[in-house]
Amino acid sequence: MRFDTVIIGGGLAGLTAGISLQEAGQKVAIVSAGQNAMHFFSGNFEEIGTARERVSALFASAGVRTHSSDGWMLMPMGSMREVSLTLDDVAVFPDKHVAEKALIVNYTGFHDFYGTFLAEALEKNGTTCRIRFVRIPEMEHLRLSPSEMRSVNIARVMDEHWEKVVSDIRVLLKDEDLILLPQVFGLKDLSVLDKIRTAFPARVAFIGTMPPSVPGIRTQMLLKRRFEVLGGTFLMGDEVTSAAMHEGIVSSVTTRNLDTARLFADHFILATGGYFSKGLVSTPTLVNEPLFGLDIDYPEDRNAWYDPDFFADQPYLNFGVKTDESLRAVKDGVPLQNLYAIGSILGNTRKADYGSAAGLAIRTAFAVADTIKGGNV
Amino acid sequence: MKRNEYDVIIVGGGITGAGTARDCAMRGLRVLLIERHDIATGATGRNHGLLHSGARYAVTDQESASECIRENMILRQIASHCVDETDGFFITLPEDDLNYQAKFVESCLAAGINAEIVDPKEALRMEPSMNPDLIGAVKVPDGSVDPFRLCAANMLDAKLHGAQVLLYTEVTGFIKEGDRIQGIRTYNHQTHKSGEYYAPITVNAAGIWGQHIAELAGVKIGMFPAKGALLIFAHRVNGIVINRCRKPANADILVPGDTVCVIGTTSTKIPFEECDNVKVTPDEVNLLIEEGAKLAPALASTRILRAYAGVRPLVSADNDPSGRNISRGIVCLDHETRDGLKGFITITGGKLMTYRLMAEMATDLVCRKLAVDKACATAETPLPGSGGKSFREVAEKIWENPTTVQKAAVGRLGMAAERMQSSDSVSQSLVCECEEVSVGEINSAIERLDVNGLTDLRRRTRVGMGTCQGELCGCRAAGLLAKAHGCADRAREDLKDFMTERWKGMYPIGWGDALREAEYTQWVYKHVLGV
Repeated sequence: MRFDTVIIGGGLAGLTAGISLQEAGQKVAIVSAGQNAMHFFSGNFEEIGTARERVSALFASAGVRTHSSDGWMLMPMGSMREVSLTLDDVAVFPDKHVAEKALIVNYTGFHDFYGTFLAEALEKNGTTCRIRFVRIPEMEHLRLSPSEMRSVNIARVMDEHWEKVVSDIRVLLKDEDLILLPQVFGLKDLSVLDKIRTAFPARVAFIGTMPPSVPGIRTQMLLKRRFEVLGGTFLMGDEVTSAAMHEGIVSSVTTRNLDTARLFADHFILATGGYFSKGLVSTPTLVNEPLFGLDIDYPEDRNAWYDPDFFADQPYLNFGVKTDESLRAVKDGVPLQNLYAIGSILGNTRKADYGSAAGLAIRTAFAVADTIKGGNV
Repeated sequence: MKRNEYDVIIVGGGITGAGTARDCAMRGLRVLLIERHDIATGATGRNHGLLHSGARYAVTDQESASECIRENMILRQIASHCVDETDGFFITLPEDDLNYQAKFVESCLAAGINAEIVDPKEALRMEPSMNPDLIGAVKVPDGSVDPFRLCAANMLDAKLHGAQVLLYTEVTGFIKEGDRIQGIRTYNHQTHKSGEYYAPITVNAAGIWGQHIAELAGVKIGMFPAKGALLIFAHRVNGIVINRCRKPANADILVPGDTVCVIGTTSTKIPFEECDNVKVTPDEVNLLIEEGAKLAPALASTRILRAYAGVRPLVSADNDPSGRNISRGIVCLDHETRDGLKGFITITGGKLMTYRLMAEMATDLVCRKLAVDKACATAETPLPGSGGKSFREVAEKIWENPTTVQKAAVGRLGMAAERMQSSDSVSQSLVCECEEVSVGEINSAIERLDVNGLTDLRRRTRVGMGTCQGELCGCRAAGLLAKAHGCADRAREDLKDFMTERWKGMYPIGWGDALREAEYTQWVYKHVLGV
C-alpha cells in the first residue's frame, strides 16, 4: 500500500498532522494503537501560542468547538489556571470571582469529581456554594459492579437520560447564578452541552473529572472522523512492528495487523508519544525509541533522571528524540531525510520553539505538515 | 489524681510500643502512648512482613530461633487476620554448600522448628516460581504477616482496654525529680501545643530513635542504625516464602504478602542523621534484583512497584561502645539498676516477630516496679479482628453472600470488617481498585482508627499500595477525608504529601512500566487536576 505520508500514532499530534495533510490533498495513513493522551486531556490547549486560530479552524471543521479567549479555567481541585484556548466544555471565567452563589451538583457515589474541594476554593474568592447530589434509576445498574461508577460509563447513560438529571437540578436550584457539573455530558452528541446550558436561568459550567476525560475522548472521535471523511486511512488498534531504512531514507513500515503487506510512503511522521504511550521505552540503564532506534539525549547516571520532589519539573520528561531544525529525527548523529518526530516523543527538547503538552503536539504537527506540503501555510 | 496522670507512659507507636500499651492496659494499668508521627512509621512498617519460623537464626542464634517459633505459633492464634500461613522453603542452589542443609535441619529441630527436607522436584511442584536449578529444599513454618494491620490491631485493643494514644506528639524532654523520671514534656505537631504528662514509669519503645529518647532522659544506650533496603514487586510471584539455605546474607528472602511480594534485604550501617530520611540507592536496587532472581528467576522480568528501606534498632548487648557485641536479640534495660535512673525502662532490639514477648518483658518489669501482681494474658487473648481460619470463613460469618469487596476487607480487618459499612451500593463502590478498598472501609477507618491523613489511611487500609501507587485512589480518598474532616485545604495539602511520599519509593525503580505510570500520574496531577 502506498501513501504520501504515514503517521505512526493517532493522538492529538498525529491527528492534527493527518488532517492538515489530508486537507492539502495528500493521501495519508495513521497507524494508531488505540488509547492515547487525548483520553486524559484537560481541555486546555496549553502553550498553544500563535497556533491558536489555526487549530481552532481546523478543529471547527471537525465539529470540535473551542473557546478562544484569555481567562481563568476552574480546575477540578479548585485552583484557577490562566488559559487562552480551551475545548468548549471547559468553563472559562474572566476573573477568579466566578459567581455570587454556586450550586455544585454531583452524581451520588461518583468519587472522581471533587465538590468539597471546589466549594472550599470558590468560597475563598467570595462565592457561596451548595453541594447537592442527584441519582436516576437508569444509572443504578452501574453500581452492580463497584468499579463501574466512572466518568465515561456515566457519560454513556447521560447521553440517553440527561433530561432527567436536568429536571432534578431544576428542583435543587434556588437563587444560584452558577451551576457546576462534572464533565460527563455530550460524549456522543456535543449539542447536549448547549441544551443543558440553556435549560437554566443560571450559567452552567462543566468541570473536569479524574480520567478518562469525556471531552478528550469525544474530541479524539471527532478528529478521527474528520480525518476519515477527508479520505484518510485510520488503522485502529494496530501497531508498527518494523521499518525499512536505507541510506537515511525510510521506505516502508510493517504493522501487526497487515502482516506481510507493507505501508510505503514518501514521508513518515513519528507521533507515538512519551513513556506512557511507549513512544519512549526505558530500562534501568537506558532510554530508547523502540521503532527506529533514534538518538535520545539523557544522562547515563539514573540518579539524574528524577527530582525527589514529585511536583518538580522531572528531568526524565525532558528526554526526547533528537531532531534537526525541521523536526527530522536523528539516528546515529544524522537526521533521517523523511522521518519527522512530533508531539510528546520530543519530550521538552523543543520546548523553547514549540512549548509543551497540547501546544507541543499541535505546533510540531503544523510545522511538519507545512514542511511536507512544501512550506505552504 | 492530677490531670494527665498515668501509671505508665510508653514512648513509640511502632509494634513494640503498641504491644506494650496493650499488655499494660490489659493488666489494668492506666496507659498513655506517645508517638511522634503515625503508627508503624519506623522499622515496624519497613520490613519484609515475614512471619519468621526462626529457621533463619537456627544455626547462628538458637535463642532467637526458639523465641521466633514460639511467637510464630502465638501470632497464628491471636492475630489470624494479620497472618498468611504460607509456609517457607530454604533452598540450596548449585553455588551453595549442600552440607549446610543437614546442620540447618538439625539446628531447626533443636530450636523446636518443624523443618522437613523436601525433594527438589516436589518442592518445585509446590512452589513453581523457585529457581529450577535448586539442589535442596527444606520446608519450615514461615508465613507472612501484615505489620501495619498487626500494629493497628494492638493499638486498637490497647484503647479498648482504656489506653490513651497521642499520635503526632513528640517527646521534647523529661520531668525529673532527683534521680527519678516523673513524666514527659511533649509537643503536638498538629495542634502546635506543648504538654506535660506524668507517670511513675516511662517505657522507651522508640526503636532506633530510642537512643535519642534515652539521651533526653540523661542516659546512654549504644545503638547502631543498620539500613535494610527492600523491593516490592507488582505480583505475588510466589505463594510460599523462599529463603536461601546458607548463612544469612543480602537479599535472600522473598515473602509473598497480599497481592505483592517483597525481596530483601541489604544491611548497611548509616549515621543517625539519616534515620529520618533513608534512601535506597541504585546499587542496592541492582543487588536486590540480581540476588532476588536467584531465588525466583521471574523477578528479573517482573514489574517493581517501589523500593523502601527501614532502620534496624540494633543495640550493643552490654555497655561496649565499640559495638563489637551487637545483638539482634531483645534488650530490656532497667535504667534504675543500670544507670541509677528511676522510673525509666528501655525495650529495644528484637524483631517484629518477637514484639509480643518484648512487650511482655517490659510490662513484667513495669508491674514489678508498680507492685502490680497480674499475669500476662496477651499470648492467649485474640486481637480485635482475629477469629476464624480463612477469610472466606470469616466473611461468611458476617455476611450471607459476601461480595469480593467484602472479602477483601475481611482479608485486612478480619472480624472487625463487621463494623464496616457495606450494605448499600454507595459504600461498596471502590476507592482503590488495585487493592479493592471500598468507600465503607475508608470511612470506617477514618472513624475508628485515628486517621489524620492519607498516609495514615494507607497504613490502615492499603489504599495506594497497589499498581497505580495512589494516582487515582489518592484523590478519591482525599475527597472522603475532606468530607469527614470538613476541611478541603488540609486534604489537598495532604494529597500532595501523599504523592510525594509515594514518589519517594517509585523513583529509585523508575524505569519501564513504573516510569510509564509515573509519567501518567505526574501528567494527571499537574495538567488535569491542577494540584
